[in-house]
Amino acid sequence: MKELFLELKQAIIDGDEDIVGELSQKVIDESINPVDAVQEGLIKGIEVVGELWKAGEVFLPDVMMSAEAMKVGLGLLEPEIAKLGMSEGESKGKIVLGTVEGDIHDIGKNITGAMFTAAGYKVFDIGTDIKAEDFVLKAQEVGADIIGASALLTTTMSAQKQIIDYLIEHNLKDQFKVFIGGGPTSQAYADEIGADGWAESADEAVALADRMLAK
Amino acid sequence: MLPKYNVLTEEQVLIIHNESIKILEEIGMEFEYEPALKVFRAQGLKVEGNRVHFTREFIEGKIKLAPAEFTLHARNPEHDLVCGGENIIYMPGYGAPFIQLADGTRRKSTMQDYENIVKLAGASKNLHMTGGTVAEPQDIPDEIRHLKMIYSSIKNSDKCFMGSAEGRERAQDSIEMAGLLFGGKDVIKEKPVLISLINSLTPLKYDERMLGALMAYAEAGQAVVIASLVMAGSTGPAALVGTLALQNAEVLAGIALAQSINPGTPVVYGSTSALSDMRTGSLSIGSPETALFISASAQIARFYGVPSRSGGALNDSKIVDAQAGYESMMTLMAASVTGINFVLHTAGILQYFMAISYEKFMMDDEMAGMLLHYLKGFNFDEDGLAYDAIAKVGPGGHFLTQKHTRRNHKKEFRTPQLSDRAAFDAWSKEKLDTNQRAHKQWQEVLANYVPPQLDENIDKKLLEFIAQRS
Repeated sequence: MKELFLELKQAIIDGDEDIVGELSQKVIDESINPVDAVQEGLIKGIEVVGELWKAGEVFLPDVMMSAEAMKVGLGLLEPEIAKLGMSEGESKGKIVLGTVEGDIHDIGKNITGAMFTAAGYKVFDIGTDIKAEDFVLKAQEVGADIIGASALLTTTMSAQKQIIDYLIEHNLKDQFKVFIGGGPTSQAYADEIGADGWAESADEAVALADRMLAK
Repeated sequence: MLPKYNVLTEEQVLIIHNESIKILEEIGMEFEYEPALKVFRAQGLKVEGNRVHFTREFIEGKIKLAPAEFTLHARNPEHDLVCGGENIIYMPGYGAPFIQLADGTRRKSTMQDYENIVKLAGASKNLHMTGGTVAEPQDIPDEIRHLKMIYSSIKNSDKCFMGSAEGRERAQDSIEMAGLLFGGKDVIKEKPVLISLINSLTPLKYDERMLGALMAYAEAGQAVVIASLVMAGSTGPAALVGTLALQNAEVLAGIALAQSINPGTPVVYGSTSALSDMRTGSLSIGSPETALFISASAQIARFYGVPSRSGGALNDSKIVDAQAGYESMMTLMAASVTGINFVLHTAGILQYFMAISYEKFMMDDEMAGMLLHYLKGFNFDEDGLAYDAIAKVGPGGHFLTQKHTRRNHKKEFRTPQLSDRAAFDAWSKEKLDTNQRAHKQWQEVLANYVPPQLDENIDKKLLEFIAQRS
């Protein structure tokens, strides 16, 4: 069993989603404790990747492929955990991520998602061209700590404000931290629209979340 | 003019062409705009959902319809530009949301910045047109931004300018305003006056906004740059040739659409392909790889017989420093010596397109002047050979008191506008670096600039149009 977890961990480090899929299926088939497989296998692996990235020893494709592999593993093991009525254990936090309404650029969002995954957060990526309401509904559904909204165009930045307006309107502002990001955004803009956080790059966003959620 | 140099063999260009055809035939591209799909269906192409599968015959046939060169008309005919052939057109940066200031701070760009940059480009001896979104005026509501920008471009200079690519409606507004300026839409249909920047959404897509604008301009006979920005490593493969094949497929499909709508539409083959930094994922444009993409694009466009467009003074630096200078010179020189015809982002860009800097603008204007001089190459007439002067001076002696010297240096040497050639002691009095000198210079240029007079009647009509559309 220990051996299997080590293999899972290594497959995450290698960013090999096929092997992670096979091994996760094996966990289910052989009725091995899925919570242990997540904690001892998947999460241990992604932690290593996060450390290596911080140390400058791996590059972005390494992190993103590990995050993808993580998604495959969790996709198989989480339903099993729920079926058995077990608890997955605590993640560092939950973040709902998307690109705002009217904007279909997603590279920045995807990188941010991978960085949060590598840092031990649970990421719910809801895609591009997402309405303010849908950000909030998803955040409520999963009990998110953070709503992360990306915009690349000066003409779609206003949709980031709409999310905050929607939260205020529905008396939900204090339930979630709203993070914004994307090329034309800035700390000044975040302050102006009342966002809780802004970061220029994905790793700065993770560091900011770490600080904010630790409080 | 110096001959343009090639970075690919003929066989390599053909390989890239064939790879692009394979991408277009077998993978196809998505067009998120029903009117565009309708055009492709009418051309007999296989369309499944938004996905269009092209054929070699269709693409190669349509490319042949695009003119090898065309004239872009300016309010002042002295500033008419021929796009294509041996010509090179320099213009300011495009689309930056921020202004980087000389003191190292950064702020949102405004309408005032837009106007200032149009004026600086209007005053420049080296920039041939004023460009398009020279600064994103974030203090103007999005719905009327394009109207204000076009008006400012018309009012503050009589050089050629660009139209809005923000969807069909704004393209139509641009065409209406150009029509008012040039005496009617029929007039400009025969003589293109606008050129606009249509970008694909890499990989292998075009969105509704850009397609709407492309179709409006093609219908009105206005020129379009069809450009692709592949970020190698993220929105494209981590391979230079594969990136070129992908870029080429996207541009060919866009050109084919324009030619299907209106055969003979003036188009420019555009490339801004660059890298994704593999540590952070961010766009990186001041790189040797970008210079290779630029150079190859000039050559690929020549292969198709259409004018080419690339970026100009590109860099990833945050401020006007040595990195900004050396990266910018590499890409601007690559564009200039390999035969790019339409050099967007020649002046002002910092921070991988995120910021415009006035000081960088002046530095790039100087570089543009240096390169225009370089491109002129050598003079082989009697004055150029200067045998008589050499004979007169003979062994020893000097040329400083020769009539030939006094006369000819003004023809053959370029006097710098911004660079400092003073001796150390003279320079030491003020110790101004490039950033500081440029800071003084742009303010002087702006203060001394007098915009060319605009006909009062036309001015009134333009303002009425804006009022009615606002």
